[in-house]
Amino acid sequence: MTNYLIRRLLWSVLVVVGVSLVVFFVTHAIGDPVRIMLPLEASQEEYLTMRHAWGFDDPLYVQFWRFAVKAARGDFGDSLWQRTPALALVIDRLPASFLLSFVAIALAILSSIPLGILASLRLRSLLDRLCVMGSLLGVCIPVFWLGIMLIMFFAVDLGWFYTSGYGTWKHLVLPAVTLAALPMGRITQIVRSSMLDELHRQYMTTARAKGLAEGYIIVRHALKNAAIPIVTLAAWELTRMLAGYTIIVEKVFAWPGFGLLAMQAIERHDLPLIQADVFVVALIVVVLNIVIDFVYAALDPRVRFE
Amino acid sequence: MKRRETDESKVLLVTDHGDPGFAVTIRLWANAHTGATHAHTTRGHACAAPTPKPVQVVIAIGGDPSTLDPQYADDGNERAVNDNIYEMLLFRDPKTMAVVPGLAESYKQVDATTWRLTLRKGVKFHNGEALNAAAVVFSVKRILDPAFKSQQLSYVEGITDAKAVDDYTVDIITSGPLPILPVRLTWLKIVPPKYAAEKAAEFPNYPVGTGPYKFVEWKKGDHVTLEANQAYWGGAPKINRVIIRPIPEEATRLAALKAGEVDLVRGLIPEYVKDVPKAAHRPGLEFPWIRINTRKGKLADLKVRQALNYAVDKEALAKSLYGGFAVPADGQLLTKGHFGYNPEVKAFPYDLTKAKALLKEAGAVGMSVDLIGESGRWLKDKELIEAVAGQLTEAGLKVNVKIVEWKTWLDLLFAGAEKAPDLQFSSHDNELLDASRTLSGLFTSKGNQAAYANPEVDKLVETAATETDPAKREEMYRKAVKIINEEAACIFLLNLENIYGLSKRLEWMPRLDGRVLVKEMTVSQ
Repeated sequence: MTNYLIRRLLWSVLVVVGVSLVVFFVTHAIGDPVRIMLPLEASQEEYLTMRHAWGFDDPLYVQFWRFAVKAARGDFGDSLWQRTPALALVIDRLPASFLLSFVAIALAILSSIPLGILASLRLRSLLDRLCVMGSLLGVCIPVFWLGIMLIMFFAVDLGWFYTSGYGTWKHLVLPAVTLAALPMGRITQIVRSSMLDELHRQYMTTARAKGLAEGYIIVRHALKNAAIPIVTLAAWELTRMLAGYTIIVEKVFAWPGFGLLAMQAIERHDLPLIQADVFVVALIVVVLNIVIDFVYAALDPRVRFE
Repeated sequence: MKRRETDESKVLLVTDHGDPGFAVTIRLWANAHTGATHAHTTRGHACAAPTPKPVQVVIAIGGDPSTLDPQYADDGNERAVNDNIYEMLLFRDPKTMAVVPGLAESYKQVDATTWRLTLRKGVKFHNGEALNAAAVVFSVKRILDPAFKSQQLSYVEGITDAKAVDDYTVDIITSGPLPILPVRLTWLKIVPPKYAAEKAAEFPNYPVGTGPYKFVEWKKGDHVTLEANQAYWGGAPKINRVIIRPIPEEATRLAALKAGEVDLVRGLIPEYVKDVPKAAHRPGLEFPWIRINTRKGKLADLKVRQALNYAVDKEALAKSLYGGFAVPADGQLLTKGHFGYNPEVKAFPYDLTKAKALLKEAGAVGMSVDLIGESGRWLKDKELIEAVAGQLTEAGLKVNVKIVEWKTWLDLLFAGAEKAPDLQFSSHDNELLDASRTLSGLFTSKGNQAAYANPEVDKLVETAATETDPAKREEMYRKAVKIINEEAACIFLLNLENIYGLSKRLEWMPRLDGRVLVKEMTVSQ
């Protein structure tokens, strides 16, 4: 297992470095950000002077070397606009994005597992139909629209929550619900279908024959066996959120997470900030994947690390 | 509610670079009152005295400030915050836009390249540093230093140095005669020398100025908090605390205003005006326009360019796209408030028959032209481009609209006259309120955005730049404006308004230059 972990970690380093390289070359191929930084009225001389001052007129390999030497020490340089170390800016925004993502995924899991189980037990009942419809809706509704509707109804009309911003649970509820809608829909569907697969297996009959309580059988036997696809999906949803899917929700709710920061960085072609952002996202995804592997192993004894 | 104000005073426009489409400008009051200006002053006065408890105002802007260094970025969101913290040597009068004393009490030109300013005494930065000649010299040198890489250099172009004469007298040195200098000094913010030099790394995040508000905290992406500077030289402001919140989504900004979470929203879109508790709007400085490559093929023919201008129904565009919160540009990219505005020059009327006839005369019927545009940078830019293309098509041209990514758009804009596309949509806002910025950049052979050249215009603009007699200088700009119009050097489109949404309790007359100055606001309980 230690071997496996070491191998995974080495691969992860390769992935993060690879992604960083690709991003470096892609962003620099688009061209220098100096024009974007200056007002339209700035003269050609001003543009050239600025370009030189930033070193964007150097050959790409020179720029790359400069970047690589610093990046190897964990320094992505200062944000072009904020003139503050880029990595620190990204890290500063992580708590807000993490809070939002974890609460949303928790909401999604805690609501969709019971719903999915109930739906599978009462196949074709009203409840089942509602669940299927509701989960379809969650998957189909545009996040942007849902967010605005929730704001209009719960914040403006009812005044229960804040429309936007960060700080208290009253700020958190609406963005978390908005973000949870899609995973909630998807996870409910997968719970329902995985449970349907398991409910008719022979071991269920055996368990019932042994006289075990129905609730116990469903949770300890059926759900546990159905867990792998559910975990896979939930983990994938969480990864997606942390990798930037929160961006729309952050924009709608003015939530100060790193999605919003990334959006700003891209709009302004703030190269060091984009670089730092991608680095952090790649790191998160890689780490999350390793963690998920261990969760699989814990759930399914057949999984072995080799 | 949308009664148009006939107030003559004109306005500035702020472009929020980080936030496409939220270029904003202003017009007057709205909903309840009709005698807007008067209603404002009397009300403001009535509520000033009996409110001893702390008053807080929340302002929503389009995006997080890129930095809080007042001399570095070209960013409207940064200005929305720093205009309340920092000050300039000269101000603009809120109503007339005339250049008036600020941190400097007076100024005079001593020779062709030297201007002498007398500073206001007893002004202190929030950290206790004194505002003196050394601070001004430091501030000027700091913004000009190439290593500092300020994005605002084009606003202070022509200034080369500053020298202290005594503690409260300072000389500003220019590269040549620079009649526009006072205007430039309404832009340049003065920073505390000791703090800015010794704590350079902290300075962009912890601003310290001389202004009516002191910095409290900046939670990036969420809010900036300011509090009243009780020792402000102009008198402590009435509102004690200001929270400035970036809310990038326009629908959310509206919702926050309706829910009572914010008191002022910048960059309200026309459709939302009827939904806000109170709206304020005023003619702005934003001029959407279409550059014509006047050297290319049939576009070199004046008749074709005139036809392009006659073919566009500006009134209809202003009404249908901007809900009446825009007016046709007066055949120039300047407002009445700009120095150099020519009152004799008028918009090309909409005349489809004439446009068709002119195209026929020029043998350009069915001619194919490329129209390059972008999307999302300015209010309804893409819609406007498509509408104009439709009208040009109606006149008998084959218009190929190409909406390109911002960087590509920039590359095309600055590609030089030879490589310039046939037509390129852009939007111009001259925040310095002096025609030189518009004319030299857009319509002279040296202009970086120009695809038009005329020796006469070149000469007028060049001479005017160093002409010290304001009357002569204005005359030259007017002449240039007239020629550019007669030559139909571009397609003149609209002049957009700035729209603000206000809470019921906030009393404020938006400034004509687009600055959001909380010291000019009051709150009624």
